Amino acid sequence: MSEKKQILLVDDEPGIRTTLSISLMDMGYEVETAESGERALEMFDAENPPIVLTDIKMPGIDGIELLRKIKGLNPDAEVIMISGHGDMELAIESLKNEATDFITKPIRDDVLEIAPTRANDRIAMRRRLREYTENLEEMVREKSEKLVAAERLLALDQAVEGLSSAIWGLAGEIDGDLKYFNELPCFVSLHSRDLKVLAVNELYRDRLGNRVGADSWTAYVGAANQPGRCPVGRTFETGQGQRSEETIRRSDDGGDVKTPVIVHTAPIRDTDDRVALVIEIAADVTQFNRLQEELRTIRRKYRLLFDEVPCYISVQDRHLKVTETNRRFKEDFGGGQGEFCYNIYKGRTDPCVDCPVMDTFSDGKSHSKEAVVRSRDGEQINVLIWTAPLRNAADEVTHVMEMSTNITQLHKLRDQLSDLGLLIGSISHGIKGMLTGLDGGVYLLNRGFAKDDREMIEEGWDTVKLVIERIRAMILDILYYAKERDLKWERVDVLSFVSDVAETFAPKIGEADIRFQTDFDDSLGEFEIDPGVVRSALISILENAMEACVEDNEKESHAIRFSVHPDDGDIVFTIADDGVGMDKETLDSLFTLFFSMKGQKGTGLGLFVSKKIINQHGGAIHVSSEPGEGTTFTIRMPKKLPESVKGS
Amino acid sequence: MAKKILVVDDDPVIVKYLVSVFEDNGYETCTADTGTEAYEVLEREKPDLITLDLEMPEEWGTRFYRKFTKHDEYKDLPVIVISGLSGRHQALKNVVAALAKPFDPDKVVALVRKTIGDP
Repeated sequence: MSEKKQILLVDDEPGIRTTLSISLMDMGYEVETAESGERALEMFDAENPPIVLTDIKMPGIDGIELLRKIKGLNPDAEVIMISGHGDMELAIESLKNEATDFITKPIRDDVLEIAPTRANDRIAMRRRLREYTENLEEMVREKSEKLVAAERLLALDQAVEGLSSAIWGLAGEIDGDLKYFNELPCFVSLHSRDLKVLAVNELYRDRLGNRVGADSWTAYVGAANQPGRCPVGRTFETGQGQRSEETIRRSDDGGDVKTPVIVHTAPIRDTDDRVALVIEIAADVTQFNRLQEELRTIRRKYRLLFDEVPCYISVQDRHLKVTETNRRFKEDFGGGQGEFCYNIYKGRTDPCVDCPVMDTFSDGKSHSKEAVVRSRDGEQINVLIWTAPLRNAADEVTHVMEMSTNITQLHKLRDQLSDLGLLIGSISHGIKGMLTGLDGGVYLLNRGFAKDDREMIEEGWDTVKLVIERIRAMILDILYYAKERDLKWERVDVLSFVSDVAETFAPKIGEADIRFQTDFDDSLGEFEIDPGVVRSALISILENAMEACVEDNEKESHAIRFSVHPDDGDIVFTIADDGVGMDKETLDSLFTLFFSMKGQKGTGLGLFVSKKIINQHGGAIHVSSEPGEGTTFTIRMPKKLPESVKGS
Repeated sequence: MAKKILVVDDDPVIVKYLVSVFEDNGYETCTADTGTEAYEVLEREKPDLITLDLEMPEEWGTRFYRKFTKHDEYKDLPVIVISGLSGRHQALKNVVAALAKPFDPDKVVALVRKTIGDP
């Protein structure tokens, strides 16, 4: 020890202080002296010498009292007592008060040397003991740390468990759709009891910075930015996993971006069941909300698509039981859920032959088929059916989706198109014939003028007039056919209507030898028709009757009977002639487009259009005929126009 | 005796027209408005040439044509088809010509003259 050993010498007798001081300094001690107990205490307090040598008998504070006080100030101080007498009681009292040694006067130099040396030994020993104690504590700490590390390893299992439970907690927020979890940006961190960040995951480091060692709560903005209020703090406090919505401060994007997060925490307990660590998982809600919104949008779009596609969609199970339908299906076929496909579509009690859904169940492929189904209103609908398998996770076909496209309109359109093609062919042919006829009339006229032949001029003119009339009729028919026109219906008095028809028709008979008889009931009342078109339909049929009479050369004279009478809410028109009549084949094709009995004189549109007009009014036309005997047309029309026709 | 032409067409206006054209050029004519009648007229009148419409009620011109060309006596009888049908060229083989309606009367006469000569 390089420092000089200090000794405080206390004695009321100056002679003793001097002699002892000299002896002690000779021994190598640095000596301070005090003449009284009071002075000694002051000096001890200032200098804190390791060894104090004091006389017992002193005025004021005596040696024993000083010993007690010094020991009170520093228990490690070595105090050696000096006594004038071999007073055993004082010696015992001194030792009781932890005096180091007891020396009697007169003091022998050898004894004086031994006592401080022993005191010094005690001091050294005490220091070693302290060092040793301190080393022991160090060792214990090292050992403890190793233990803690082992404990942490053990805790890792718990950590994983805690992590997965926290993840499940998060996953639960997303409608159970785990597939989106992979996309979720999660900030994962581990926290210690003293609310320090121990570890963070990569994303955390990227977005929030490497906050290892930082205070747990400082990642947050707002109320959670406090030790006791942050999720980790609350977890330590309650020992329970926490879930809360917080705002964190991000350090990426070069700035102070605040991001809303959903935070889940899970406590990790040590062997004593105390919360040792807390794992914290924060999911970026903006991303999460975006994903959820996206998912919702997609679902909505699919539902919209499902409902709005111009198809009937149903999902059916293996028993052809309908499990789901779209809006259009519900509209036209009713709810349907739980019912059988074949029952809803066809009103059958067992599956249809060639069921495409069953085909799909058996081979897992799509099938298509055309079929006619019946809506709940009884309307026949042509559908193009297309099926697709719906598979479960094990790739088994559990359901089949059936999409049926309503192609009724397409069918109608197709019919109309083929009619149109026929029409154009027929019209062009008819027009060519008429133009040739017109050429003929003009040729006769020219020749008549050239020869100044009046008869020939008239013949030519008649021909021109005839052909022009034919062209006019044809064009009107075409116009009616080509244009799908709505009925301009009105309430009409039946008697005055049919009288008007008869008056219009009668002059057409002209010079032909045909009697025209009318028989109109006088209680006909009114009916709802488009008078313009019904008039032309009736006249067309009357003209047909006239033609049949003109053609017939067997009989000397002919008659056409036009009778009208009411029948159970309907008006029945009967037009009967005794002309040539028709065979069965002619009768069958009578109302088909472009069928004409009149050769070049007819367009083949007249009766077709008449029937169309009658049908459009919700009426029906019936023909009976016998070759050589005559023909009877019976037209039945409702007094009240069907609502569906009025609306359109 | 002038050369005779049989006009077969179901439209009396056109029959009258063709007859006038041919007669004005010095030819004799006979007419029929159906295929059936045409055959009767053919046998009775023995024409030198036939103008034939294809589309007629009851019996089409095509059928009449096949019927009379089977007979050796008539198989070389020249036929001019006068029809509005767009397929008139393909309808019959070995006809002199197939004219469209409406036709040019001068062209018809020129064709007749080329086929059977002056009346």
